[in-house]
Amino acid sequence: MSKVSTSILIIFILIVGWIVYLTNVKKDNSLTVRYYSISELAREIDDIQKVKVGGYIKPNSIEISDEDQLDVSFFVYQNNDSVKVNYYGIRPDLFKDDAEVVVSGSYTNNLISATELQTKCASRYEGDLKNIEKI
Amino acid sequence: MISQIGSIAVSLAGGLIFSSFLFLGIYRKSKNEVYLQISERAILASSYSIFLAFFCLLNELLISNFNLQYVAQYTSYETPLFFKVTALWAGQAGSLLFWSFITALFTVTYIFTTLRKMKRLKFHSFIIISFIYSFFIILSSFIANPFEPVSSDIIVQNGNGLNPLLQNFFMAIHPPILYVGFTGSAIIFVMALAASISKDISFDWVQSIRRWSLFVWTFLSAGIILGGYWAYNELGWGGYWAWDPVENSSLMPWLTLTAFIHSSMIQEKRGMLKKWNFLLATSTYILVILGTFITRSGVISSVHSFTAENLGPVFFTFLSLLIIYTIFWFFKRKSYLDTPDKIDSFSSREGGFLYNNLILILMCFTIMWGTLFPILSEAWDGNKIYVGASFFNQLNIPIGLVLLFLMGIGPLLSWNNTSRNVLLSRFKVPMFISFFSGLIYLIFSTFFQLYVFVAIMGVSFTLSSILGEFYKSYKRQTRASNFLDALFRMLLSNRHQNGGYIVHIGIVLLFIGFIGRAFEVEKEFSLSPGEQIYFANYVFKLNSIKSEARDNHYAFLSDIDVVDNNNQLLTNLKPEKRIYFYWNSDPEKRQPHSELDIHSTIQKDIYSIFSAYDAQKNIGYFKIMVNPLVNWVWIGGVLMVLGSLFAFWPSRKRK
Repeated sequence: MSKVSTSILIIFILIVGWIVYLTNVKKDNSLTVRYYSISELAREIDDIQKVKVGGYIKPNSIEISDEDQLDVSFFVYQNNDSVKVNYYGIRPDLFKDDAEVVVSGSYTNNLISATELQTKCASRYEGDLKNIEKI
Repeated sequence: MISQIGSIAVSLAGGLIFSSFLFLGIYRKSKNEVYLQISERAILASSYSIFLAFFCLLNELLISNFNLQYVAQYTSYETPLFFKVTALWAGQAGSLLFWSFITALFTVTYIFTTLRKMKRLKFHSFIIISFIYSFFIILSSFIANPFEPVSSDIIVQNGNGLNPLLQNFFMAIHPPILYVGFTGSAIIFVMALAASISKDISFDWVQSIRRWSLFVWTFLSAGIILGGYWAYNELGWGGYWAWDPVENSSLMPWLTLTAFIHSSMIQEKRGMLKKWNFLLATSTYILVILGTFITRSGVISSVHSFTAENLGPVFFTFLSLLIIYTIFWFFKRKSYLDTPDKIDSFSSREGGFLYNNLILILMCFTIMWGTLFPILSEAWDGNKIYVGASFFNQLNIPIGLVLLFLMGIGPLLSWNNTSRNVLLSRFKVPMFISFFSGLIYLIFSTFFQLYVFVAIMGVSFTLSSILGEFYKSYKRQTRASNFLDALFRMLLSNRHQNGGYIVHIGIVLLFIGFIGRAFEVEKEFSLSPGEQIYFANYVFKLNSIKSEARDNHYAFLSDIDVVDNNNQLLTNLKPEKRIYFYWNSDPEKRQPHSELDIHSTIQKDIYSIFSAYDAQKNIGYFKIMVNPLVNWVWIGGVLMVLGSLFAFWPSRKRK
């Protein structure tokens, strides 16, 4: 190999090693977030700085503050477990009972203080035929 | 009736592909050209069958045959005609048939143009094409059949209708354009493999595969940009790129294809890098299939992901077979692809292309790593890790900035080697301009941001370098009568190169748009009619909130005056809160949607979202964002596509 391709190869390997290090070894909190299941989180006693959790909104658990419509709390459930979530901000359009949501934020005292709230995007709308008018 | 014909056409296409395999086998044994001919006919006939199936589905959508599950799910009587057509690719089954349809279009084109000239590639091309066909036909007939009838115990009176988010012109045209790019890369895959296996890499072949690549690249780029444009104007989170797995999987093949377009130039000029180019050309299609696997199998949880049919195992098998086949032939043809020449200087055009390849592959690697890391980590120790936008930004911004400078350095380098004196004289002006604009930023910026500083220097360096090249070649047009004539002669003098430069200017403009992201600000607040709020040097005054029942939704209309610092009315924004299916007694089935309003100028966008309305208290909840320079992303995108069309467009035969 010529010296040009050798040196390029070396640079490449170094950078790739760095990327792998960033995600895998260092587990830097600012870059990656651990994804928990609801049941895992429900059993967790310790506080966690950064979590991401997916589940469904527990029916009739959405409570919107009287003073400020942007202030909301609700429960996210999966199977038999559920976790309470507090969120301040504008909610996605598809936010309603039983909607599938992904919540990220911090976990303290069995409560998620969410900084991000997403509902499953509708760009792929593989719903069942529930809206269809039947006779 | 028509739907049965469609169903039969899919099966027929499968049978024909099976017979094509059979005759290819006989040809291999007997070497009798007739069997190769028959196999070609079988592939063509299979393609026509797919066309037929496609038009059958289109027909069913247009006449609203709700006896088909697909038609009932994605259209209704109220769906406008245009969106009945676009429902073809709104769901899994339809989009897969649509994918086969474009693959068939490309195959027919490939057989009638490229293979007419390069007959020796036929045999291996047919094998690979038949393999790709059989995969998609299996999907369409057994796993995601668009002609599946609704279950016999219900009669559907009206269909579901297309999701309002998808009833947008740009969302309607974005998937087919992206699919053209995706499926077109199959032809590049086929060409690269067929030529290497039959040891028939010629100069004509390099030129031909480069033309195909440019064509595919144009569509891939346009598709990606349109996707961003739709997200920005419709989804209402104020951005155009979120490093979502779906977006990433369209960007990965774009990066390898971009690398291929550059490095194949070295093969065209100097006959080098054949092995490397083989890998780039084949990995583009493999990445397309990997991306489709990621987004359609549900292995990665994404806000976009498809969850329906169980496509995962089938896609995984197809993907593995493609990879095994490619690696097998790569090692078998390693010595054939070896080239004795070496690149011997860093400061040569070839060296520049190598850096470019290094950067693009690095980006592709970081994106692939970030996208696949959740799966890998879960398989490794059971921990599900989410890799967010911060990972991709942190890694790709510095890599992208190097790329930005490279686009300016490349054109200044000569082939083989560039002497130090020549280098210095060519770099003088762009370097000066770059430092000067960096200085201006340092003087006028209120707080220093390193990436912004580097990006400004990069943009001015690359822009002045490319415009300098244009200027030099403009000066050479001595026979021109006037300015415009000279400009045209200059542009037409070397279309490949000039087209490439135009694409590069487009990318520089994209970077200008990216710089704007560093200055974005946003605020969420509530207002009652008559109230106002001050934010980002503007006063936002809510005049009124009205409501209105429309054809297919109910709308709350806000009316906001935006007043600037000089007390001048800048614009009036009217974001809406809409409720689709509002007549439905079950609130579960109603679908809220925020229709944005954007005041867009070349300097900045004022982006307004009407998020929620409290009717009892008469309070509206809004989100306002001020996004500088976003328009440059779209201008850059248009220029990229135009530039590559310019390079690709066949030139008229000269006398």
